[in-house]
Amino acid sequence: MPIIQAENLSKVFRIPHKDPGVAGAFKAVLRPRFEDKVAVNGISFSVEPGEIVGYIGVNGAGKSTTIKMLTGILMPTRGNVQVLGRDPHRQRVANARDIGVVFGQRSQLWWDLAFIESLNLVAKIYEVPPARYKQLLDQFAETLELGELLRVPIRNMSLGQKMRAELAATLIHAPRIVYLDEPTIGLDLIVKERIREFIKQQNRAAGTTVILTTHDLGDIEELCPRVIIIDAGALIYDGPISTIKARFGKYREITFETLGDASACAVPPGAEIVGAEPRKLTLRFDRTLTTASQVAQAVMNAIEVKDFSLAEPDLASVIKQIYGGALREPVTP
Amino acid sequence: MMQALRRRIKVYGAFAAMAPKDYFAYTAWVWVEFIAQFLTMTIFVHFWRAVYANTSTLNGLNLPQTLNYIMLAQVLAPLVQTRTIFQFGFLIQNGQMAIELLRPVDFQARVLVDTLGWLGMYALLKTPLLLIAVILFGLQLPTSPAVWLAFGILLVLGRAVVFYFDWIFACLAFYTTETWGLSVVRVGVATFFSGILIPIAMMPGWLQQLAGAMPFAQAIYVPTSLLSGIASLADAPRVLLIQLGWLIALAILSRAVFNVAIRKVTVQGG
Repeated sequence: MPIIQAENLSKVFRIPHKDPGVAGAFKAVLRPRFEDKVAVNGISFSVEPGEIVGYIGVNGAGKSTTIKMLTGILMPTRGNVQVLGRDPHRQRVANARDIGVVFGQRSQLWWDLAFIESLNLVAKIYEVPPARYKQLLDQFAETLELGELLRVPIRNMSLGQKMRAELAATLIHAPRIVYLDEPTIGLDLIVKERIREFIKQQNRAAGTTVILTTHDLGDIEELCPRVIIIDAGALIYDGPISTIKARFGKYREITFETLGDASACAVPPGAEIVGAEPRKLTLRFDRTLTTASQVAQAVMNAIEVKDFSLAEPDLASVIKQIYGGALREPVTP
Repeated sequence: MMQALRRRIKVYGAFAAMAPKDYFAYTAWVWVEFIAQFLTMTIFVHFWRAVYANTSTLNGLNLPQTLNYIMLAQVLAPLVQTRTIFQFGFLIQNGQMAIELLRPVDFQARVLVDTLGWLGMYALLKTPLLLIAVILFGLQLPTSPAVWLAFGILLVLGRAVVFYFDWIFACLAFYTTETWGLSVVRVGVATFFSGILIPIAMMPGWLQQLAGAMPFAQAIYVPTSLLSGIASLADAPRVLLIQLGWLIALAILSRAVFNVAIRKVTVQGG
């Protein structure tokens, strides 16, 4: 039984149309005109309990709008969404009890009060039994290193501290689903690592289903076996990350630092030049036609090579290709 | 049933308990408000003494009655000079509304409990001001517990009436997202028509009617009249019925308006 089911989900915003300038502003007041902006366009997917799904797309692709519909704070214009068997908008409060949401740029904590005050309150409103609360708090305090933070008001916290606090407050009632909207935005590597570890741990230990939007490829590579990619409001890919990597990781890049003039080298078969400087040569080759050693050998035979490096087919370049339009036609994994 | 109620009280009570903590986060503000209210009260007392210099009664009220009323109204004034509408708009504008709607409680009930819970805290905070008024300006407080009890009920219900009224207008923020102007007008109108500046009994007939058509007097004029001795306890049941009428009508209407408005919710940004 899927825990989340979205069918043909769409959201259209009516936004006031304004011509530029003061005259335009006046016109908009006197005779308001509206235009429809389709933020999400007929998306369907389902999520099984215990999954971690990366929900990715460029800024403005409709990620947050989808999350807001799933959490029940936005009513879909068309389509249907079921979360834990409920309509999240109609049964918003009941739904809220079973989910946790982190919006990377907002806070559910009391800005001026010590963090522990907010935590206590959250535990009370979700009616977490005191013994369980204590146990979870101890556990979270360890993984997220909250110890010293408990007495600190949120306003005095750094971004990383705030996000750790936010995550703890969101998961303290052991929600069955958590939506994390860019949880690692603006954080340093160490905090990112810690947060990923925490999410993994919650997923493994408590079976928490996680829906994650992010621009951080590290988040996706480390956390999400499955990704859903949307572009301009439409779903363009839903499947395992490995499929995407295999499909778009067909090409690899190899860079040589040479002692002699790099342009003297003939291009080996199955490869093409991506960049050529006097002492540096970058080649791209198709892994289905040739191998790294064949390419390297050909170059080394032609010129003296000081050093060379082989770039991993990282997700960044894959995603760049997809955002660039390489996946306009939906693929089946 | 009883248990469900107890659970609810616990949950909403926990929310309400945050408000005082939040208030005391900035202790300077506690003093600023105290001093401001003390100064305003001093000015008001001198103003009304000047008004009464050449007359012994005004529309049936003598100086001690008027002073009693004005000082008490002054102490209660911040209760209706609220910026609920603006705060609501702010929540929507900066997207914090999303967070509020994601809490597993009825949002309106939560804010109402917050608002009414605050009254208890308010009574504590304003006791020094009342004592000063008694000592410096001869404020006379009733000794009958029945009067105090009736005043308490009228004040709580009156505050709830104003809350529901504000809620309806606050829902406009879902459509306009701009609420500062409306909020400023609302505070001005409330200050006058709640009877903070002048006892409503002193207003000309048409203004009295206008004040009666608005809910603000329910939170200031109605309870203050009783506590200051302008109105008698015998009148309380009649007044209470009117208040309940306001309360039920506005409560139903505000819920309906909110339920419609929430479908409009466009949480900004992100």
